[in-house]
Amino acid sequence: MYHMNKILLIALMIVLAGCSVGEKRVKIFSVEEPRAKLNLPKPEALDLEKVRWIIITSENAEQVFAKLEAEGIDPVLFGLTDKDFEMIAKNFAQIRQKLQETNNLLEEYKRYYEETE
Amino acid sequence: MAIAIMLITGIAGAGVYVMKLRADNATLKANQIELERGIESQTKLLEQQKKDFNAILESNKKLNALVMTFKKDLEDLDKRFNKGKRDIGKLAIDRTGAIERIINKGADNAARCVELASGAERTEEELKATKKSEINPECPSLANPAYVPYE
Repeated sequence: MYHMNKILLIALMIVLAGCSVGEKRVKIFSVEEPRAKLNLPKPEALDLEKVRWIIITSENAEQVFAKLEAEGIDPVLFGLTDKDFEMIAKNFAQIRQKLQETNNLLEEYKRYYEETE
Repeated sequence: MAIAIMLITGIAGAGVYVMKLRADNATLKANQIELERGIESQTKLLEQQKKDFNAILESNKKLNALVMTFKKDLEDLDKRFNKGKRDIGKLAIDRTGAIERIINKGADNAARCVELASGAERTEEELKATKKSEINPECPSLANPAYVPYE
């Protein structure tokens, strides 16, 4: 009986010791994957059509229309006063500046986010 | 017997203490390595932040300079129409042909400026322009960034 108890005690110890082994630890690696570059193609530069301005005064009006007809162009003109012409020139300049500013901003963003990496 | 037990206990205690010291030492070494790594990565981060800060400053400077050139270009354009008592309408009545040529030349130059602003390549002629008569007067800084304006 004494030996039996001893064997049982040892067996119990072995069983309990088995519990102390535990589970394997899970290791999680975090690897930083950089975001894919957008790399959109650069927009094509504009290639503008040439526009011809004709100055028409009360003195040369007939001559201008006759010339247009001779050139086979409809004798009709869309007019601007000298002040409106000035405005259109300034508006044109502002549009061009906005285009340039936007393009420069884009280039700066691209340089900052893509070249410094 | 009691002395023997005390001796064994003492030796065992000393052994356990030495093992603890060794474990502490290993932990401290690991901590040291970790701290050095931390300092290294912090230094790198600071360097990167410094670079970023400089790049932001540089970009802002560039854009501010660009906006200043815009203002000057618009002022120059205004001057071309209203310098002194200039009246483009009266001039067009008096010298119709000449003003028409000037207007058409100016319109062509302005159109070229839009092309350049949209990203068109500068021509060799534009890049070589150093004189007032050679530069596109509608947007000198855009036509040739190296152009130095003079009066």
